[in-house]
Amino acid sequence: MSREVHTLAPDEFLDEVHSFEFWFHSIQGYLADAEYGHRPGTPESELPPDRRERLITVLCNYCIGETAALDGASGLIGFAPNRQAKIFLATQVVDEARHLEVLIHRLAELGVKDPEAEIQRRATRSLQAFRRRLLELVAGKDWEAGIFAQNVILEAMEFAAFQTHARNADPITRELLEGIIKDERRHMGFGENDLGRRLSATPHVRARLQQIKRELDPLVLETFEEMLAELDVPREERPELGRNYLETVERLGFTS
Amino acid sequence: MSDFLSAYSIQNWLESCPQGYLEGTTFGHASSESEPASILENPILREDAIRGTVQLVVGERAALAASSGLINAAPDEASKRFLATQTIDEARHVEIFTQRLFDLGVKKTELEDVIKAMASPHLVAFAGVLLEKVDKKDFVAGVVGQNIVLEGLAFSVFEMQHAVNKEMNPKFAHTLAGTIADERRHVGFGENRIGSLLKEEPHKKPAIEKMQKDMSYHILATFADAFRRNTKAFEEEQRIGDRQRELTGAAPGKMEWQGANLADLAPAEMEQLLASTVLREFKIRLDRLGLEYQTPAAP
Repeated sequence: MSREVHTLAPDEFLDEVHSFEFWFHSIQGYLADAEYGHRPGTPESELPPDRRERLITVLCNYCIGETAALDGASGLIGFAPNRQAKIFLATQVVDEARHLEVLIHRLAELGVKDPEAEIQRRATRSLQAFRRRLLELVAGKDWEAGIFAQNVILEAMEFAAFQTHARNADPITRELLEGIIKDERRHMGFGENDLGRRLSATPHVRARLQQIKRELDPLVLETFEEMLAELDVPREERPELGRNYLETVERLGFTS
Repeated sequence: MSDFLSAYSIQNWLESCPQGYLEGTTFGHASSESEPASILENPILREDAIRGTVQLVVGERAALAASSGLINAAPDEASKRFLATQTIDEARHVEIFTQRLFDLGVKKTELEDVIKAMASPHLVAFAGVLLEKVDKKDFVAGVVGQNIVLEGLAFSVFEMQHAVNKEMNPKFAHTLAGTIADERRHVGFGENRIGSLLKEEPHKKPAIEKMQKDMSYHILATFADAFRRNTKAFEEEQRIGDRQRELTGAAPGKMEWQGANLADLAPAEMEQLLASTVLREFKIRLDRLGLEYQTPAAP
């Protein structure tokens, strides 16, 4: 698996980058020495009680997002249009499950006794609503809508939120978020590539996806607002995260 | 429950599987290994290898659909996470067995047609029984069908094939060794997780027992189909083996499995041995779960 992927023909490229082998070589670089998403020697910070509380709330909501991603990606496998997409989504499923696991482990490190109950207790309304809508789209077996909501909107939302958070996080949380961001990049790449090819062949699909975006954007932005308040980001800096998200989605060809 | 499920974490999976027994492999075997010329250059043996591998791809595609489909129905986070590792294991199996079809000379453009033409209809029906439960989000029945019946079947088939190929085709034997290690983990999860859920929902037992009976029937029919079809390949292998022994003077090889030397068995005897092993294992595992084994009709 040492072939230079960018020199491959389009079909060979997809075969290569959507394979278990490719995934395995990608994650080896940053997970080989990690335990639950961070190096064993990374020091734990002494967080003041209120900051710790806020971090727990934020991590609980990340868990909701990652559970949505896990349920969404696994649900997409059943009606993925080809073998390569199924195999890629299987790698995404285990990535999302890993994210959930490292976040739950982090909650335990922060002293949360029953993470599952805590996650339900602290989940924001907007993120719960987002999750329900995503799973409706997946249950409807609508490939374009499902992959758009999952691998473009949800992944871009997480990507923007985790990048912002990682900049100001304690060392352990930062390391595990950086590992997650690397995975999210791969997932967005898949969404962009798959939808890009479909949209060039069937441009009328774009209008339907724009409609879904209009429906989901307020939930994403509301979730950001709630998270940023918990992370104590100054009010004047909060629009930046929403802008980052909108720009990421725009780069994929979807404007507001 | 949580203690047992912690053994099935992603962290454990990463350390034992990709960073453990798969480390240094390419598509499940050493990169220096290839399919033997005796298969690639013999049309009868090559077709038999392709037909056999097609059944593995069909079975693994069903396992991929089932394990991913069950994640949404899982009652707790830890089970979801285990099923995520199973999903990627099954995807890897689909990938390595598909790659074997390419190694055997199937063209990428012909893949789906070859699978469609060679897949046993009984195996397809077997997958249909399982996926119906998964589609209904019936977690308990789905996990019994997937992790006890399908995985139990795969475990025995892979072990038998491993014994047959150990000396003749080390590349394929190594590919199988990794899948056997995976299947062992999957069966272990099924046995551990379902026992407690069945205690909570004992009314589900009759429907699950019927599912096992239906799936077992299709298994026996798949075996009958497979072993009847490979008579020519079996005779060809015997002929090549006899000729080699004449030339080299070497003693006949041993292929030990379940107390028998497979090299001494005719196809019908191998079918009997495999079928009785699979059904016996079902019986033991179902008994552990408090389910009553149902004898399937003879195909």
